[in-house]
Amino acid sequence: MAGVILEHVMKNYGSMYAVNDVSFTVNDGEFVALVGPSGCGKTTTLNLIAGLLPMSGGDISIGNRVVNDLDPKDRDIAMVFQNYALYPNKSVYKNLAFPLQMRKLPKAEIDRKVQDAAKLLDITHLLERKPRELSGGQQQRVALGRALVRDPAVFLMDEPLSNLDAKLRVQMRSEIKRFHQDLNATIVYVTHDQLEAVTMADKMAVMNGGFLQQYDTPANVFAHPVNTFVASFVGSPAMSLIPLEVSGNALRSPEGWELQLSPANVRKAAGSTTKDIVLGARHSTLKLHKSVVPGSVPGKVYTVEPTGDVTFAQVFINGAVVNISLDPSVIIAPDEMVWIEFDQDRMHLFDGATTMALQAA
Amino acid sequence: MTAVTESAVRRRSVDWWRWSGRLFLVLLLGFTVMPMIWMIITSLKTGFAAMQYPPQWWPAEPTLDNYTRLLDPSGRIGQDFLHYFWNSLWVSTITTILAVVVAVPAAYAFSRFRFPGRNFLFFAVLLRNMFPAVVFLVPLFILMKALGLVNTHGSLILTYLTFGLPLAIWLLKGFYDNIPIQLEQAARIDGATRFQAFIFVVMPLSTPGIIATSIYSFIGAWNEYIYAYTFLTKQSQMTLPVGIQRFFSENATDWPGLMAATFIMSVPVVVLFLVLQKYFVRALTEGAVKH
Amino acid sequence: MYTSRFDYLYVAPALLVMLIVIAYPVYYTIELSFYKTPASLSLADKTFTGLDNYSTVLTSAIFWKVTWQTIIWTVLSTLFSFLLGLGAALALHRAFIGRALLRGLLLIPWVVSAVAASYVWKWLYHSDFGAIGALLNAVGLTKGPVNFIDNSTTSLYALIVVNVWKEFSFAMIMLMAGLQTVPESLLRAAQVDGASAWQRFWHVTMPQLQGVSTVTVLLLVVQNFNSFIIPFIMTGGGPVGSTQIWITHIYELAFLRQNWGVGAAYAVLLFLIMMVLGYFYVRALTRGDDKRAGA
Repeated sequence: MAGVILEHVMKNYGSMYAVNDVSFTVNDGEFVALVGPSGCGKTTTLNLIAGLLPMSGGDISIGNRVVNDLDPKDRDIAMVFQNYALYPNKSVYKNLAFPLQMRKLPKAEIDRKVQDAAKLLDITHLLERKPRELSGGQQQRVALGRALVRDPAVFLMDEPLSNLDAKLRVQMRSEIKRFHQDLNATIVYVTHDQLEAVTMADKMAVMNGGFLQQYDTPANVFAHPVNTFVASFVGSPAMSLIPLEVSGNALRSPEGWELQLSPANVRKAAGSTTKDIVLGARHSTLKLHKSVVPGSVPGKVYTVEPTGDVTFAQVFINGAVVNISLDPSVIIAPDEMVWIEFDQDRMHLFDGATTMALQAA
Repeated sequence: MTAVTESAVRRRSVDWWRWSGRLFLVLLLGFTVMPMIWMIITSLKTGFAAMQYPPQWWPAEPTLDNYTRLLDPSGRIGQDFLHYFWNSLWVSTITTILAVVVAVPAAYAFSRFRFPGRNFLFFAVLLRNMFPAVVFLVPLFILMKALGLVNTHGSLILTYLTFGLPLAIWLLKGFYDNIPIQLEQAARIDGATRFQAFIFVVMPLSTPGIIATSIYSFIGAWNEYIYAYTFLTKQSQMTLPVGIQRFFSENATDWPGLMAATFIMSVPVVVLFLVLQKYFVRALTEGAVKH
Repeated sequence: MYTSRFDYLYVAPALLVMLIVIAYPVYYTIELSFYKTPASLSLADKTFTGLDNYSTVLTSAIFWKVTWQTIIWTVLSTLFSFLLGLGAALALHRAFIGRALLRGLLLIPWVVSAVAASYVWKWLYHSDFGAIGALLNAVGLTKGPVNFIDNSTTSLYALIVVNVWKEFSFAMIMLMAGLQTVPESLLRAAQVDGASAWQRFWHVTMPQLQGVSTVTVLLLVVQNFNSFIIPFIMTGGGPVGSTQIWITHIYELAFLRQNWGVGAAYAVLLFLIMMVLGYFYVRALTRGDDKRAGA
């Protein structure tokens, strides 16, 4: 196993930058998720690590070796593709054996490794089948098997679960996590599903528009999003963002109300480049009241979604939709006026112009 | 309205459509097949029996004489005919092999790579299909003369290659487009070079396409008439479509003999086509639906 | 997508072959059309005559006759091939026993050589011993031998029948492919909305077939405009020029009358027509590309 280091990696098509100055380090044995909306550059980044695309600039090293000009086959990596990319004309056995044959291993050794991998993934009974005779989950296992049979330095996975149905996805999620722990494998994992990233990865790299937005542990990304994009992308339901203006020690809404800030938040707000501030809050930090209480702001209920153990309400505040989680015993109706109380210690303030998180000076 | 009457109404209207469709197919089949049947019936008649009015709808004395005469290597007619047959087979086979060898890499490149001028080149290739053979006859004849290829099969093979290539490239490109690029990427990560990925992964998957392309090239070359008619003047070099014409217009036309000859000429392509119909149709439809 | 300068190598062999056998003839034809070249085709003795060949073409009486016949030939052949092909495609769309066999039989005319087809039909049309004439007599539609292709009023239409026989199944197979792309769900939705079988065809199936139909019709038009073998073998353009179309006329001018310059001028005009058709063809094809890229 080995680590992966990206330094100032660029990929452009003419004036279109698919990957723009991306740098991060994947430590040996770490599980890193590249996450972002479609078109954010995450798959391109993965293909650059794999060597399937030529880089426009920067350096990539795998295991202390700069691999910029190496062919994919010489980078000591394995890859699992979104559509599994199993060779449809080869049996499962031959699919697993192919990477070993390409490396000209002796036949007996190939057989031993294929059998071992099949046993590990519980696909021994499928070895003689063709890929089209397998279910989605089985194909997924074969794809994993083909990746691990060679014992590569790094595993690259491109949305490996997105073709599976919801139930199977949850099951495979834990299998891949288990696989990571058992093999102590270095994994770079691309997904558009932030939940997969949060639940599986040691670290997540959030990308948008070709730029790396934040690279940290899921807990830190969740607790301290660096900008409004990360804030709204990570977490389910997403963090609610309300655009407001600073006015003295308070945030003022064009609707006429003001929200007093705590001294710590006043210092944060002072760092903003303009008067515009975006107030961010996660659903669990908000309190809903049916009448005015000090420090609360007015809103109008849009929808109420009971899920059983928790009820989600969407409330319009200053034109923005705000998610709030409620105890199921709370009864509210659409279009009802409510008052929302913010937790000053757990609210986020973002610079309205730059979208960056504001820190206490 | 109750469910019963509604389904009854629907069944009646569906039946009307289905029956008119069937009737249409029967009529169309008659239109298609009758000339072929008449060809075969005539080929089983003697010259005398064919020249009667009203015609014998079924030959009074069916005979295979016309066929044995054409296929008898000891007779003069048989010798010439078998020679033409062999020439056609040779030219068509070589054309097919060369077309596949040249078209496979080109189609693969058009399907996979984005290089400057790619679209222009591709449409230039397609547009070649739009120019008729006749207007190229004179310049190509002069070109073949300059290359010393007049009266050789080389002139035909080279020409057939050019009018077969655009279609071959187009058809094959359709097949390559349907092979996910991830398969090649997987192969390259699994340790294959780009060339190995092409040979071990892409080629086996494109076999149906190659078969289809081969049939198209073969049939096109086998049936070609105009270039063969112009480029070949030596009897010994002629292919079937030209050969049978020279053959039977010498004297008064021997219709049963001509029908037997056209029958034999049609057998290889029709058999090839019927056996491999699946690939043939698939290739055309892939091209038609997604260019 | 990969890119590398070696990519051109894949296309090079194909391009080389095409360049030799296409670019040179096109250039040569254009050049020839501005010269008067002796019958021997000895290029050293050719004389420049400017646009003379073109004015000869456009002012000759036969030009308009041949052009009119070409239009009739192309339009009727295309129309009937398309209609028969569409009907067959629709009738064959539903699965039934023997469908593959039937499709195969219907495709045979398209597969056999035009030379063979021409001889067979020439025999069928034979004025003394032809089966079609005899059949019409037998059912009492006509009396005595019937002239189809030796008769200047019927010859062109008789040849169009042969041409349609030969190529309707091309339209059929293209449209069958197109029908497979009509989403079943759309037809169901239309059925639920109360559309009759005809309305479903007209409002759902036909719009979906538009792309394939455009390409098919264009290809048929090009193919018919460029037809040569059927008229050349069956009638040689006769009787009295009644089946002469552009291509057979060019052939006659160049090869039978050694009128190289005028033949070349015709060919250049034909290039221009083909370029126009080609423009629509490419546009029909790229529109499909855009749609897919947008999806």
